[in-house]
Amino acid sequence: MDFALNEEQEMFRGYLRKYLDEFGQTKIAREFIKGNSKGLDKTRTGLAELGATAINISEEYGGLGLGPVDLVPFFEEIGRSLLPGVYLETMAFVVPLLEKYGTKKQKEKYLPEIASGERSFTLAWLEPKKGYNPNEIACSANQEGDSFVINGVKELVPHGDLADTYLLVVRTYDSSEREGVSLVLVDQTEEMEIRMQKCVDETKHLSEITFDHVNISKQQLLGPIHHGWSILQEGLLYLNAALSSMMVGGIDKVVEMSTEYAKIREQFGQPIGRFQAVKHTIVDMKLELETSRSLSYYASWSLENEEEDREASIYSARSFATDAYIRAASHNIQIHGGVGFTEEMDCHLHLKRARYFENYLGSVTYYNEQIAKALHWIGEEYIFVK
Amino acid sequence: MDFSISKQEEEFRHELRSWLEENLPAGWLEGNKDLPNDKEAYSTFLRDWQKTLYEGGWAAVAWPKEYGGRNATLMEEIIYHQEMVRVEAPPLVNYIGIHMVGPTLIQSGTEEQKEKYIKKIVTGEEVWCQGYSEPNAGSDLSAIKTSAIKDGDHWIINGQKVWTSYGHLADKCFLLARTSNNQEKKHRGITAFLLDMHQAGVETRPITQMDGRQEFNEVYLTDAIAYDSDVIGEVDKGWRVMIALMLHERTGIGAELFTLEKRFTDMVALTKEYKVNGIPLIEDPFVKQKMANFYTRFRGSLLNYYRNLTTTLKKGQPGPESSIDKLLVSELTKEMAGFMVSIQGHRGVLWKEDASANTVWQDNFLASFGQTIGGGTSEVQRNTIGERVLGLPKDMGR
Repeated sequence: MDFALNEEQEMFRGYLRKYLDEFGQTKIAREFIKGNSKGLDKTRTGLAELGATAINISEEYGGLGLGPVDLVPFFEEIGRSLLPGVYLETMAFVVPLLEKYGTKKQKEKYLPEIASGERSFTLAWLEPKKGYNPNEIACSANQEGDSFVINGVKELVPHGDLADTYLLVVRTYDSSEREGVSLVLVDQTEEMEIRMQKCVDETKHLSEITFDHVNISKQQLLGPIHHGWSILQEGLLYLNAALSSMMVGGIDKVVEMSTEYAKIREQFGQPIGRFQAVKHTIVDMKLELETSRSLSYYASWSLENEEEDREASIYSARSFATDAYIRAASHNIQIHGGVGFTEEMDCHLHLKRARYFENYLGSVTYYNEQIAKALHWIGEEYIFVK
Repeated sequence: MDFSISKQEEEFRHELRSWLEENLPAGWLEGNKDLPNDKEAYSTFLRDWQKTLYEGGWAAVAWPKEYGGRNATLMEEIIYHQEMVRVEAPPLVNYIGIHMVGPTLIQSGTEEQKEKYIKKIVTGEEVWCQGYSEPNAGSDLSAIKTSAIKDGDHWIINGQKVWTSYGHLADKCFLLARTSNNQEKKHRGITAFLLDMHQAGVETRPITQMDGRQEFNEVYLTDAIAYDSDVIGEVDKGWRVMIALMLHERTGIGAELFTLEKRFTDMVALTKEYKVNGIPLIEDPFVKQKMANFYTRFRGSLLNYYRNLTTTLKKGQPGPESSIDKLLVSELTKEMAGFMVSIQGHRGVLWKEDASANTVWQDNFLASFGQTIGGGTSEVQRNTIGERVLGLPKDMGR
């Protein structure tokens, strides 16, 4: 029995922590909120130099050839520092899908650039007033000669302005089913109209992107045409495992903030951490942190080792950590009292991030339903995403 | 990360499993798992079972070979619990002797004490209980008042113990008594004694629990006698002995987790089987959501345990994190048991032979309330985690 990150993985975490500490941790996010993305640009290069962006890219394309477990410390650390950007979408969604379904040409074009930190991807899935279901994909890609002609609008695209390439979910033939959904890799150009959407989590830039007769080479299709839906589901396994780690990083930081504050803040002549109402609240946060961490480690491990219970494990990590982050971030504000309600403290940034992730690519209710399905408690009938 | 078990551990599992198939009480594997109701017959049944375990070499696997054990590794001990839970083996009547008193004697008992007690612990000849709590010393154990006063080569003990599990069956007691008063530090001045229960000064009275069972007792000590040779460790330093004793029970939470795992599997089966208005309960959206949440939390607790176990394996002994395991498993057990009764509708109140599904659910529900109190209440566990894991300041008065 050895259920822990190994020495190298912990050492890598140490490097990342030190590196991000030097940048003042959440200072990068705070500057970004004010419109200054210099810090973020610097970390983009810096993290690549540390090898972070190459972790799960195969060696032949300039990567380290490692798997989901090696991504755990990285995602925990960037979750902890609330780093803006699309590392999650790039490294834990697009990379594994490109590795598995990409053509040689696509891999050659994109993977080395991702590894070196020069290229980032985001996910363009949702459409205005629509949900995540396949029948709600209306953005069309009609085949004309060697090209797809894309028409439609995507919204809530994470950092649609910063990302170099979109993994675009499109409809390639008329149907209200999963059949007919395809995935296209679309490099950002001026042909696309990008409108920024204001987000409660201001460390996240969300965009609405309009495609009006945009021509994209057919060579940019990822995976078989009309059969993109199942590839998306596979990508979600990677994404949710990594997202769980990212939330663990956030919860870890929040528990640390509450603990440290409760040790030094004095009222009634004593540190507030002595009062059981405060102490036990922080302990409950700690319990949920440890449970989230255990579930997320196992999620990544089961994914890496293609275990039979990987789906149930990943969904349960996602489901638990989502709720736990919201609860912990909320308690953290309460424990800090008045200052916890101020802009100056980081408390609100974590709450906003927790809410940002709450329904990202599916709700807790949806993932619980997926657990029931993965464990064969209920039939295999199609479950709609809520 | 590596969840695989070694070849040696796999062999250990296989050997135990085969042994159980041949040696469990007649009809046990076929489903006849009722224990005798009569107190004497119950005691005999469990002592016989322990004797069988001893003869097979399976009574105290973690003990050194020379004392009748197997030198089992921590992982083998875990496997032992898994296998015992798998067949729902009869309880180990001398649990306290095997998992706590015995290892403590082996570690710090005198040669005379080892000679006198150890063999009889492992054979089940002498069943042990623990004399800790008192009416006015529960979570605050250091407040015990039971006194032991030196008189020549022996000690005269007076006081009252309570919640003494197996007290009515026990032959010996690991007893904490006050031998001196230290106003500043109450836990100094406590001594650990190995007390004979079969003497005029010891009277046990069973306490009927809220689930109708009688598993623990009040123990009245009136001029009970213990000799100098019955002191374990040093006089006035019994607190340390007790802490060391608790560390020996290194895998108890594992057994509870595997029980919870089994119960969860049974829960899933019941929610598939149990229909309301013709529809299986598991298809009810509320039930399904709740079950997915229980799955998540039960898996989380188990994985936390494995993570803490990894730390224990590296450091050689468990840390304060074991309070996290104890707290999570006991609270989750209680919540799950309550839910199982609740979803049976009004029929959930039917009990014993009239139980709607299986009275085990009603019994578990009632018994689960003991789990968040016994072995340190959830509140005490939260203090331990807050203070020893997170480093928060101690409460006033402690």
